[in-house]
Amino acid sequence: MTNILIIVVILLIVITLVQLLRVGDLLSEIKNVDNNKVTDKDNNTQAFLFFMIGGVIYLALVIWQIKYWGIHILPPASSVHGETIDSLMSVTMALILIVFFITQPFLAWFTYRYRRSKNKTALHYAHNNKLEMIWTIVPTVVLSGIILYGLSVWNKITMSDYSESTVIELYAKQFNWTARYSGKDNNLGKSNFRLVKGANILGVDMEDTFSKDDKITNEVHLVVNKPVLLKFRSQDVIHSAFLPHFRVQMNCVPGMTTQFAFTPNKTTSEMKTQEGEDFEYNLLCNKICGVAHYNMKMKFIVETQEEYDAWLASKADLSEKLITSK
Amino acid sequence: MNKNRTSKQLLIIGIVGIIMFFAGLTSAYVVRKAEGNWLEFVMPSWFMLSTIAIIISSILLWISVKRVKADKSSFIFIFITLLLGIFFSYSQIQGWQQLVSEGIYLTGEGSNPSGSFLYVITLLHLLHLAGGLITLCVSTINAKKGKYTSSNYLGIELTSIYWHFLGVLWIYLFLFFKYI
Amino acid sequence: MSENHKETFITKYIFCQDHKMIAKQFLITGMLMGIVGMVMSLLFRLQLSNPGESFAILEWFLGEKWAPDGVLDPNMYLSLVTMHGTILVFWVLTAGLTGTFANFLIPLQIGARDMASGFINMLSYWFFFAATMVMIFSLFVETGPASAGWTIYPPLSALPEAIPGSGLGQDLWLVGMALFIVSSLLGGLNYIVTVLNLRTIGMSMMRLPLTIWALFITAIIGVLSFPVLLSCALLLIFDRSFGTSFYLSDIIINGEALHHTGGSPILFEHLFWFLGHPEVYIILLPALGMVSEVISVNSRKPIFGYKAMVYALMAIAFLSFIVWGHHMFVTGMDPFLGSVFTFTTLLIAIPSGVKVFNYLTTLWKGSIRFTPAMLFAIGFVSTFITGGLTGLILGDSALDINVHDTYFVVGHFHIVMGVSAIYGMFAGVYHWFPKMYGRMMNKKLGYIHFWITFISAYGVFFPMHFLGLAGLPRRYYTNSEFPMFDNLTDINDIITFFAILGGLIQLIFVFNFFYSIFRGRKAEKNPWKSNTLEWTTPIERIHGNWPGEIPSVHRWAYDYSKPGADDDFIVQDVPLKEGETEH
Repeated sequence: MTNILIIVVILLIVITLVQLLRVGDLLSEIKNVDNNKVTDKDNNTQAFLFFMIGGVIYLALVIWQIKYWGIHILPPASSVHGETIDSLMSVTMALILIVFFITQPFLAWFTYRYRRSKNKTALHYAHNNKLEMIWTIVPTVVLSGIILYGLSVWNKITMSDYSESTVIELYAKQFNWTARYSGKDNNLGKSNFRLVKGANILGVDMEDTFSKDDKITNEVHLVVNKPVLLKFRSQDVIHSAFLPHFRVQMNCVPGMTTQFAFTPNKTTSEMKTQEGEDFEYNLLCNKICGVAHYNMKMKFIVETQEEYDAWLASKADLSEKLITSK
Repeated sequence: MNKNRTSKQLLIIGIVGIIMFFAGLTSAYVVRKAEGNWLEFVMPSWFMLSTIAIIISSILLWISVKRVKADKSSFIFIFITLLLGIFFSYSQIQGWQQLVSEGIYLTGEGSNPSGSFLYVITLLHLLHLAGGLITLCVSTINAKKGKYTSSNYLGIELTSIYWHFLGVLWIYLFLFFKYI
Repeated sequence: MSENHKETFITKYIFCQDHKMIAKQFLITGMLMGIVGMVMSLLFRLQLSNPGESFAILEWFLGEKWAPDGVLDPNMYLSLVTMHGTILVFWVLTAGLTGTFANFLIPLQIGARDMASGFINMLSYWFFFAATMVMIFSLFVETGPASAGWTIYPPLSALPEAIPGSGLGQDLWLVGMALFIVSSLLGGLNYIVTVLNLRTIGMSMMRLPLTIWALFITAIIGVLSFPVLLSCALLLIFDRSFGTSFYLSDIIINGEALHHTGGSPILFEHLFWFLGHPEVYIILLPALGMVSEVISVNSRKPIFGYKAMVYALMAIAFLSFIVWGHHMFVTGMDPFLGSVFTFTTLLIAIPSGVKVFNYLTTLWKGSIRFTPAMLFAIGFVSTFITGGLTGLILGDSALDINVHDTYFVVGHFHIVMGVSAIYGMFAGVYHWFPKMYGRMMNKKLGYIHFWITFISAYGVFFPMHFLGLAGLPRRYYTNSEFPMFDNLTDINDIITFFAILGGLIQLIFVFNFFYSIFRGRKAEKNPWKSNTLEWTTPIERIHGNWPGEIPSVHRWAYDYSKPGADDDFIVQDVPLKEGETEH
């Protein structure tokens, strides 16, 4: 019943609109005026509207948003490389905001200033190669600078020396994360998806000596200022390990192992003081992976060496946890 | 509008599209091969027969078009081209059966991407060739009816452009699989 | 000579080979699909800003299965997001934009009777129609439509056990896309061959309107890139239905270890994005071309820097083929490749910038007439600047680490595609409607449509940049599982508000469009006083476009306000006066 009512109401609205338009057309026929032609009044109104809405109000709202919503963006990075990313971001943001706040006002101003008015003709100005050169070369130079800066940051991040890093594996599956610490030998034992069975949820090959001291946890603790190498695997579909506070993101792809090296430099308690008691470092999934993609979480805790050692000691080695089956 | 010119250009740009299609597939092959876990095997000997058949068919078709332009009868040449095309299809299927008997499978236990790629790419070539066979049938019938003359040979010309393309594509794929 | 042949309803409207009718078929199909895609976005926005809440309208649209008690099912959420993307990127912004305007404008603006092959053109529409039917059908299957995102990365898109939409829904999606790709290719063949061969006497390449250059280059991009998507999809079909391992390896799903080994999902991403990136330029370039036309005509000035604009189009087209890796910065690919793609991606900013500066200079010292089309064209420049600039952040691999797959990306691509390119399409419809239907669209409704759309579009997509910088991922059914996002609910509410406002106001456009076809004020032959050849055809529209001889061309398309001329425009077919030099 409601459906029919809705359809009837919609039809009535449409019919009303049609009649309104027809009345308008008839009126203009009587007055012998084409009310559909763009008049000088239209030009003035629309030009003014664009100057105000597309210019003044738009730019004011952008500034407003930066001021009032800018506070919601992530706090400064909690990792060494993250700080370099934040600097690069600030520089790039500044650059695009400068370009934005120059070009948009020009657009709004020209739109208003050069609205059609009686007796003013347009200037037949078809090309100027010098201008084209300027606005090809200047952006090229500026962009080259940004590119070089960006690439130097990228190279430092991706080609860092992680030989001293603690190796930790993050294993993604629908719909949770599991971590595997590599233990004292700092080497993860080999794994094979066909070995996933029962308690061996990561398919670790217990024949490999490196596996003996591995530890499986469902939380990740890191020591502040100590480099860590995260290695990523996935059991089923592509997931993505996203640690926004550390500026870390890496896809977890079934059939391969990916990795990302970084050094956290702010402890969780420091962050709690800064951001509030509820603060936690979070691991999120950031590649569509199925129905509970929005709910794959794992806590990361950055702490002192002592706190870390105590926590890790409480976790059982795999050699104790799993009985090697023949 | 010069229908001869535009028809040929339409066909050629379509052929460019098909080339990009196979470029995508063969790039995928190269990228995948570089990652290892790649089973090497020998191309089935039937594919050599395929290659010979398609080369001869192109030669015959080229002769057919020359004869049409000279107002000579071309039916028998086109007909044999068609037969060779059918033989090509037969030899492809025989080639696949040869692969199966040697333990190279498209899918399932014991299959490897190297085999899968060969099957899929040659199958797709054959599907495009099926289109070529249809146009060859039409051309054969038209030739029998005496439709092609020195002033009206667009149909057979388009058929031959497409058929030569299929031949060149096959030779590229054959050499690609053999040496890359 | 006009081709007079007996027409039945079927040959005139259904299996028509006249390019103008085919254009309208594309336009109307695209518009209707656009409504479907738009409604989908409103449905999922309701869920996003009111997570877990019950909405009768959700159950009304989706039924009890997918919106039990009015709450959106999470799998259907992902389906809506997937189909919204697919429909808008391909059906509206590719077929609806290129299919309409390439078909309509190419023969008219170059001075040809029709496309090189009316038959292939007609096939191009009917393949598109078949694709549409398959996609629509996929919305109603029991396990749901495809739901792995419009980018359908395997293994998620390959395994029905991973997500229900990857069952029959995904099969149909793949079939529909295969048909769509064939349609695009058939169209592209015609556009290229027609522009190369059927230009009228005097219409050299450098006298072509920029719209034609844009459509021509777009068709070339399409022929080179769409087939690769087809090969990519085909390998996925083999993995899904024939058990091959092109993309799949080492998978345990639903507790079962699958037999696939040796496959690579990253291979899929390379093949997909090799089309995927040029695809966004296939969407953008026609809009760039049409906006050049609309701005020039309505400023009564030549488009500034015609040659530079042509070269910029070519540069963008060329570069678009070598940037695809910027979608894959966080896949773990070789860091050197990441550097290469950063370099090429940031380079694309240069020709894009040249075009923006040229638009601004065209407006400078112009005599601007504010038709609804012109407003949308100016709106295009505004949003292209905004969206293009954020591309500089996304294109930088180091910066992408923290914004990849967040709302920052969603904001960026919506502003450049979902707003800019759509504005180009609206500008095109308002501007060429008189030529398509012999009538004018209603001006006041056009103004209302523009302003509410302009405000809403910025209201929806600008705030998303902040959500992205706050770390909010995309494709999340709800943001309520992570307390770090709790303070973003206000922003989300504002976005949803503007989404509903902006979405609904499009109905005014649809109404205006259909009303004006039947009851719009009759148009004169050249209502905008434009120079291009389409405005020299009779307003009633005939097969073969011109009743007599096709006009010959003596000048380029941009002689507006030329000193020494009688009027502020000179149509391309007017011979040069004594002593007049050509531009």
